[in-house]
Amino acid sequence: MRLIARLAWRNLRARPGQAVLLLLALSVSTTTLSLALAINETGNGAWDRLHRATNGHHIRTSLAYQESLLPPQVQSHPPTPADVARAHDRLAALAAEPEVVAASGPWPILFTDGEIGGVHLELFVMVREAAPAAVGQPLVTSGRWLSDSGDGVVLEDGVAAILRDRPGDTITIAGRRLPVVGSATTVSFGRYPLHQPARVWVNAPTASALRAAGAVDFAAELELRLAHQENAAAFVAAHGSGPRLVTWQQTRVGVHETLTTFAIAFLIIATLLAWLTIATAAVLVAGRMAAQSHQVGTLKAVGVTPGQVTGVLLVEYLMLAGTAAVVGVVAGTLLSPLLAPAAVLYGPPQAPPITWTRAVVAFAVAAAVVVLATIRPALRGVRLSTVRALAATIRPPRRPSRLARLAGLAGLPLPAVLGVRTAMRRPGRTLGGAVGLALGIAMVVVGLGLYRGTRAYLATPILGEAESVDRRASESLIDLLLNIVFGSAAVLVALAVVNAFVLAVFAARDNARHHAILRTLGATPRQTVTAFVVAQLSACLLACLLGIPFGVLLYNTFVAGDDLGPIRLPALVYAVIATASLTLYAVAVTAPARLLATRPITPLLTYE
Amino acid sequence: MDAEMNAVIEARGLSRHYPGDGTPVRAVDSVDLVVERGEAVSVMGPSGCGKSTLLHLLGGLERPTAGELRLGGQRVDRLSETAWARLRRRNVGFVFQAFHLVDELTAVENVELPALLVGASRRTARRRAVALLERLGVADRAGHLPDRLSGGQRQRVALARALINEPLLVLADEPTGNLDSHATGEILKLFAELREAHQTLLLVTHDPRVAAVADRLLGMRDGSIVEDTRLDGGLSRQAVLAQIAGWEA
Repeated sequence: MRLIARLAWRNLRARPGQAVLLLLALSVSTTTLSLALAINETGNGAWDRLHRATNGHHIRTSLAYQESLLPPQVQSHPPTPADVARAHDRLAALAAEPEVVAASGPWPILFTDGEIGGVHLELFVMVREAAPAAVGQPLVTSGRWLSDSGDGVVLEDGVAAILRDRPGDTITIAGRRLPVVGSATTVSFGRYPLHQPARVWVNAPTASALRAAGAVDFAAELELRLAHQENAAAFVAAHGSGPRLVTWQQTRVGVHETLTTFAIAFLIIATLLAWLTIATAAVLVAGRMAAQSHQVGTLKAVGVTPGQVTGVLLVEYLMLAGTAAVVGVVAGTLLSPLLAPAAVLYGPPQAPPITWTRAVVAFAVAAAVVVLATIRPALRGVRLSTVRALAATIRPPRRPSRLARLAGLAGLPLPAVLGVRTAMRRPGRTLGGAVGLALGIAMVVVGLGLYRGTRAYLATPILGEAESVDRRASESLIDLLLNIVFGSAAVLVALAVVNAFVLAVFAARDNARHHAILRTLGATPRQTVTAFVVAQLSACLLACLLGIPFGVLLYNTFVAGDDLGPIRLPALVYAVIATASLTLYAVAVTAPARLLATRPITPLLTYE
Repeated sequence: MDAEMNAVIEARGLSRHYPGDGTPVRAVDSVDLVVERGEAVSVMGPSGCGKSTLLHLLGGLERPTAGELRLGGQRVDRLSETAWARLRRRNVGFVFQAFHLVDELTAVENVELPALLVGASRRTARRRAVALLERLGVADRAGHLPDRLSGGQRQRVALARALINEPLLVLADEPTGNLDSHATGEILKLFAELREAHQTLLLVTHDPRVAAVADRLLGMRDGSIVEDTRLDGGLSRQAVLAQIAGWEA
């Protein structure tokens, strides 16, 4: 084992460029995965801190006075005093349960409409006392809390932020003009405008005045704390026949739905990156094995077993996987507060603590990536007979493939025919490169589809002022999501281009002798470069053929929904994507080709 | 004047030096050489004497560090890589010890490659390639990849490839070095036929049997030509062998 570890370490040090490239690809993958896992924790962390600061609920319920009616219907059918009393009695009975150690409420909730910051909108008016509630007292973020007497409104923090109202401003509720005295935040419900109607707090005298002005009683809310918060689910189960109860965990999940969407987006991106990293690692390992078959032969010749040869390679790449897992977990954790949308967070985001779960998942994925990438070329390397491995020559083809024949028959120019045939010589490598780039192209398609879809959605006519607020909120979230998708597409494409470059370097080595032969026959350097670039471009062409439909499939499966229909991109966009990919790819692979074409011929003729 | 007009190769003070530890390695050192049209020349000498380097210089695969070189009367020692490639595809055919066939191309495709490079149509290139393969006795292997051919067959394909554009000059570097005696005999017969057909040839070899095919024998040592013997004056094979034994000593 010590011998294996020592050989693996030496191999890493001997090829720092390859090690860094693989480490980079793996780290990007583990970082995104870690981000996907950490972003919910970031949201949960902020929520938990506010939950502690406000002595938040373990159980919450809001009971409509007339359970069959929606808020707007209540305005034409207000509840009777008996309805109100019955609901309050049911909630009071819950508060008296022995497991309950503290209760807040029942608090009446009125439904009405109003105008805040020039926007007309529907409102839930939450009635509270000046004295802090035993459970779930909202945390004041600006101004002050309610007083026992006098008019004054406290806005929910999301309302104050999006409608830009501050203490001292005046708003209208149910036709009455009221001063804003402060804003506050609470874990009890989601932030406006992602969760509607907008909520404001008033004291009982103001509530009475609002009732007189037309606001109707809609529901009552109750918040409870239990002796043990982990018993919340059991408490709900035990009271299934009463009002609908919600545990603190359910509230936390409910208010973070948007964050979950981001987490899913990161998870999809992480999966694509992991596949691309497999392609990268496979390319590197295959190139290594081709270049190192002589070393493998030497190891085997001195008595090292095939298992030990595979072991060296595995240990080498597992070292990188371990490093990438550490880098990914730390980077993902640190990035999560920056990439979590502020609109859904309950307070300033902080990096969540690093957990064993995230570390183990990141390492497991990184290890799986390198094992998947290593296993085939490693096994092929050790299966080679020792003599053949020592010869270290590239096995020439035995019969021309059908595709290679087709290239000749299709009337392609000579450099192109040669290029295609050379690419056919290593179909696995060509396919690996193509799959890697296809993932990048797919992500570009998703990004452009999302951009066009969201712009179309944002351009649809707005029916009311409240909807315009929704749009404003959606726009900022969409912009963040687009940035993430395009950023990921850029990373995927960049990795794929680096892959292409590495593939081209290996291919240049493989083809050095052939191109020298062509030059002895009178092929100009430009012709050999063209042949080489065409050979590499066949992988890119395949990537376009795979990547564009895959991108459409990804979009229609994971992105399209009620607001965004199936992808609608003009054919020209796909043509531009393909052309840009081919150009970028050609640029990346031309450098090694030019290097090859300008070297003296004679040493290349004997190059192995 | 007539001799110069007929000269395919004219080298004056041709040198190729490589940087070494302290003093440069003189692989080819001030070689003066004229090879006339239709002449077959063999170059012999001990390993490392510079004969392969000389052949590479004459074919433009390497650049001289000093001296002047003309090919078919055209000054070529200062040509660019691209200009050399264009010149080579029409005027120079190479035959190597290791055959150097393109693995991905079949025998006939390998042969037609230089014809396609000079702009012949596919049909013409194929017709000429098949005719050459027939002439060299490997037409039945035309559709096979190099990996499926014997050493002798590969060298015949390489020779056909060298001849397809009817070059001014064929340069052969140890053409029988990788062949068994039977295949060597067949290849020698082909070279003898080329000489009879007045194809200008320059053969680099260790093998006296190959050397004996030529009209003229050059001996090299330490990068310089130390012997220049005409074989067409009735010099017997035994005499050639004796002479070569003297050089090798």
